[in-house]
Amino acid sequence: MKKAFLLLLCGAFAFCACQKDRVPSKDSTLDGKTVDVSFISTSAQKLFVLNEGGMGSNNATLDFLRFSDGKYITGAFKKMNPEIAAGLGDVGNDIAIHGEEAWIVVNNSGIVEVISAYEETEIAAIKVPTPRNIAFDNTYAYVTSWAGAYVTYGADYSVADSKNPKGQVYRINLNTKKVEGSVEVGYQPEGIACYNGKLYVANSGGIASQLPPTYSYDNTVSVIDAASFKVEKTVEVQVNLKIVYSDGTGNIYVTTLGNYWDIHSGLYMLKAAAPEQVNWVADYVSVSALCGDTVYCIGTDSEYDWSGAPHTYSAWSVTGGTKKALSLTLTETTPYGLAVLDADTFLLGDAGDYFNPGTVSCYYKGTKRWDVTAGVCPGHFALY
Amino acid sequence: MVVPQLPSAPTQVAGILSRFTGVQVKDYGGVGGLKTVNVRSLGSEHVGIFLDGIQIENAQNMQVDLGRFSTDMLGLVTLYNGQKTSRLQTAREYAAGAAVYLDTDNYHFFPDGGRVRLKGGSFATVNPSVTWKKELAPFLYLRVNGEFLTSNGKYKYPCFDTTLVRENGDILFLRLEAQLSRWYHRGNWNIHVYTYGSERGFPGPVIRRAQGFPFSAERQADQDLFVQGRWTQDWTDRYATSVRFKYANSYTHYNTHPEKNPMALPYDLHYRQQSAYLSLAQSLILAFPWTVDFATDLQYAGLNSDMGQFVTPRRLTFTGALASKLAWDRFRTAASLVYTGAWDWFKTPSAGGWSGEDSYRDTWMPSLTLYYAPWPWLEVSAFAKRTYRLPSFNDLYYSLMGNARLQPEAAAQFGADVIYSGRAKAWSWALRLSPYYNHVSDKIVAIPTSSQFRWTMLNIGKVDVTGLDVKAEVGYEGTSLGVNTVLRYTYQRALDHSTPGSQTWGNQIPYIPLHSGSIGLTFRWEQWYLNWDTVLTGSRWSRSANTADYYVAPWSTSDVSLTRKFRKYTAGIACKNIFNRSYEIVQGYPMPGFNWMLSVEYNW
Repeated sequence: MKKAFLLLLCGAFAFCACQKDRVPSKDSTLDGKTVDVSFISTSAQKLFVLNEGGMGSNNATLDFLRFSDGKYITGAFKKMNPEIAAGLGDVGNDIAIHGEEAWIVVNNSGIVEVISAYEETEIAAIKVPTPRNIAFDNTYAYVTSWAGAYVTYGADYSVADSKNPKGQVYRINLNTKKVEGSVEVGYQPEGIACYNGKLYVANSGGIASQLPPTYSYDNTVSVIDAASFKVEKTVEVQVNLKIVYSDGTGNIYVTTLGNYWDIHSGLYMLKAAAPEQVNWVADYVSVSALCGDTVYCIGTDSEYDWSGAPHTYSAWSVTGGTKKALSLTLTETTPYGLAVLDADTFLLGDAGDYFNPGTVSCYYKGTKRWDVTAGVCPGHFALY
Repeated sequence: MVVPQLPSAPTQVAGILSRFTGVQVKDYGGVGGLKTVNVRSLGSEHVGIFLDGIQIENAQNMQVDLGRFSTDMLGLVTLYNGQKTSRLQTAREYAAGAAVYLDTDNYHFFPDGGRVRLKGGSFATVNPSVTWKKELAPFLYLRVNGEFLTSNGKYKYPCFDTTLVRENGDILFLRLEAQLSRWYHRGNWNIHVYTYGSERGFPGPVIRRAQGFPFSAERQADQDLFVQGRWTQDWTDRYATSVRFKYANSYTHYNTHPEKNPMALPYDLHYRQQSAYLSLAQSLILAFPWTVDFATDLQYAGLNSDMGQFVTPRRLTFTGALASKLAWDRFRTAASLVYTGAWDWFKTPSAGGWSGEDSYRDTWMPSLTLYYAPWPWLEVSAFAKRTYRLPSFNDLYYSLMGNARLQPEAAAQFGADVIYSGRAKAWSWALRLSPYYNHVSDKIVAIPTSSQFRWTMLNIGKVDVTGLDVKAEVGYEGTSLGVNTVLRYTYQRALDHSTPGSQTWGNQIPYIPLHSGSIGLTFRWEQWYLNWDTVLTGSRWSRSANTADYYVAPWSTSDVSLTRKFRKYTAGIACKNIFNRSYEIVQGYPMPGFNWMLSVEYNW
C-alpha cells in the first residue's frame, strides 16, 4: 500500500484518453454495489482495491470502483479468471499500474501477477520469492523480496546466510515478463521508488528484529543505480522503514513504523541529489499515500497505547518538505490503506478485525460520504 | 467411554473423542497434524485434559495436542460437561470448563503378562508397541510401555483444479512410559514417568503458490518428559486425603528451513517450558449423606525462548476448591466454589530485570449440580457452572501482540440431562437428551492496533451458545453374538455477540456446525469383531462473516474395522474414510482420503 507508484494514481496521467474506440471491457458485465461518485472528478476509469487477505488463508482479492457507473465490484480477479482455480492467492501486498497493465504482488504465493488493467484478465504470473513491493522505470519492474538471499534464480537454491539473510531487489523485464537478476539490499526490504535512474529501497529488518545475534531492526535506505543494478549508497534513516515515495521533483520520502516501544512511526525526507542528508518531517504515520507531489498521512499519537481505547487520528500533508494539517474526522477504527484522488477526495481502507471483510470509505472535503464492504484487509489502491 | 483394547481400534485419543456428543475435534490432517478439541463451542482453552486426574498443562497457548496421547495405556476416556462429583478431586478439576479424563490407572486389575503389537499401512506407517505388566511383590505393580511410529504422511488431495500429494507431513516419534503402583489396605500410591520425543514436518496450508516453491519446509522437534504421582490414603472411615504431584519439562525446536523453502520467513526458535505442580485433596464424610471436600493446588510454570524480545514469563497459580455433596440413593446435590489466583512475573525487553506489573489475576468459580432418579429407568440432572480460563503466555506476552492487562475469559454454563435406560434379558437401551446454554464473555480476541504490524489481545468477545445433544443406544449381548448401535446428534447455535452493529454480530462463530452427529455399529460373533462408524458434520464458516467466501462444506466419513482373535493372537484391519471423500475440517488443511491399517498382536 501507500506505494511508490501511487504517483500513477493521481489522475495526472491521462493514458486512458486514447481508448475510446476499444471493444467494451469484458468486465463491464460485472455488477456490484452502487456508490455515489458524482462529486469525484477524475479522468481515470477505475480505482483498484487490493485486499491482502489473511496469511495462509489464500483469500487475497481484487476489487475495483468503476467511475462510469459508480459500481463497486468485489472479487474481480476470480470472476475474470475463473480458470485460475486458486484465485489471486495468499497475501496481496502491493498493486501498481504500468501502462495498460496492473501488476499485483502476491506475497505468500511467490507470484507477481500481471493482469490487463482494462479487463483484469491474466497476462503473466511471474515467480519471485516472498515479493513485497513494486516500482517501475521504462525497462523494468523492480520488486523487493525478503527471501532472495536463498535463491539464485532458477530451479536451484543456494544458501547465502541461513541465520539472518538480507533481502533482494529483483528486476523483471517489462516486455518479456522474465526476471533478469537481483541485487542484495538490507534486511527485509519493503517499499521501493524510482527517480532519475536511481532506486530507493526501504529496509525494515522486521524479521531481523526477532532473530539473533542483534535482535535489531534495519534503519537504512539502499540507493541502487538502475543502469548498473548495484547498490550505490546505504543511508541511515530510522528503525523499521516501510514505504518510499518519490515526489517527482527530487524529494524522496520514507515512512517508518518505529519499534513499537519508544521510537514512534514517522515520515522522513531525503534529497535525491544528496541522500545522506536526512530530514525528519513528522511523527505518527499509520497510513499514507502520494498524490502529485504531495504525501498525505494519517496517524495517531496514541499508537503505542495497547489498552484498546479508541485512537484519535489526525491527517496532514507534506509538499516539498512543508507540513500542513488537514481537517479530516475519521470514523474508522483501524485504517489500513489510503488513496488520495485529489486534495479533497480520500479513499480509506479499514481492516476492521483483520479477520473478516473490511470496508472502503470515501471522504470528500473532510467528511465521510459512503462506505462499502471490501475484502479482508483492504490495504492497497491503484488508479487506472 | 471404555477404550476398546482391540488392535484395530483408533490409536489416537482424538479419534475416540470425535465420537462424543457435543465435541468438535479440530484436525489439521495427517498423522502428525495438530488435533485439539472444543466442547459445546467453548474454546479448547476451556477444556481441561486430565491424565489420571492431573491436568496436562500448556501455559504457552493452552492447547493440548491430543495427537500425542496413545490409547495404548488408556483404560477409560470420559468427558464431563458439567462438574464431576466424585471424592478427592484436585482443585483444578473443579476449575475446568469442561474436562476430558484419560485414565490409565487400572492396570492392576489385569493379570501379569505382556503384549506386542505391530501396526502398519497407509502413509508408510510402521507402528510397533510393547506393554509389559508384572506384580513385583504382593500388590506392587509395574507396567512399562513403549511405542514407536514412523510415517511419511503422504496422501493425495485435491489442490484447486489438480491433485497433489501432501508433502512434508512426515512424523517419527518414540514414547516410553513406566508406572509403578502399590495398593494396600486403606490406601494406594502410583508413580508415572512419561517421555516422548518426536520430529515432524508441518505441510502448511494449501494456498496458491508459484510452481517450484514448496508449501512448507517447517520442521518441529519435541522432547517431553513428565513425572507424576499420587498417594491416596483413607485415614479413618470418614477422612481421606490424596496428594498429587507433577514435574513436566518440554522442549520444542521450530525451524522454517528457509534454505529449503525460499518462501519461508527465516525462523529458528527454541522453547523450553517447565512446570511443577502439587495438590492436596481432603475429603470428610461429615455425617451420612453429607461429604465435604477441600482441595488446594499450587502450580509453577515458566517458558524460555531465544525469540527476540522474549519476556521469559513465569507464573505461580494457586487454586483452592471447597465442595459439598449430599447423596442419597435417588437424589444427589453437589456444590463447589473455587478460587484461583495467578501471579506472573516477566523480564521487560527494554528495561531488563524482572517485573510483575499488572500481573495478579484472581477469580471465583461456583458450580451447582442436581441429580434425581425418580425411577430406576429415568435419571434427571442439571448443572450450572461458571469458570474462567487464565490468559495464556502467548495472549499476554507474545512479543508483537501480547497485552499484560488481560483479564481471565469467563464461561457460564447451564446444562441438563435426561437419561432413559432399560435392560431386559440380553437387551439394553438408553436415550439421553442434553440441552444446554453457554455464555462466553470477556473472550480473549486478537485485534489490530493503529500499527498494522502490532496486534493486541483484548477481552472483548462474547458468544452465546444454545445446544442440544442427543444420544440413543441399543445393544444385545448374547453368548456368541453381540450387537450395539449408537446414534449421536448435536445441535449447536453459537452466535457472535461481541460488537452490536458489526457485520459479524449474530453470526455463527467459526468452525462450529449447526448440525453434527455420528452413527456407530458394533457386531461381535464368536471371536470376530466388526465396527462401523460414520461421522457427519454440517456446513460451517471459517469466519464469523458468514459469507460464501468462508463457507466450509459439510463432510462425512465412514470407517470400518474387522478384528479376529485366535487364542493369544489378534489380527485386525481398519479402513478409514472408506468412500474416499475429500474434506477439510480446517480450511486449507485437506484430510486424507481412503486409508487402511493392518495390525497383529501377541499376548502372553
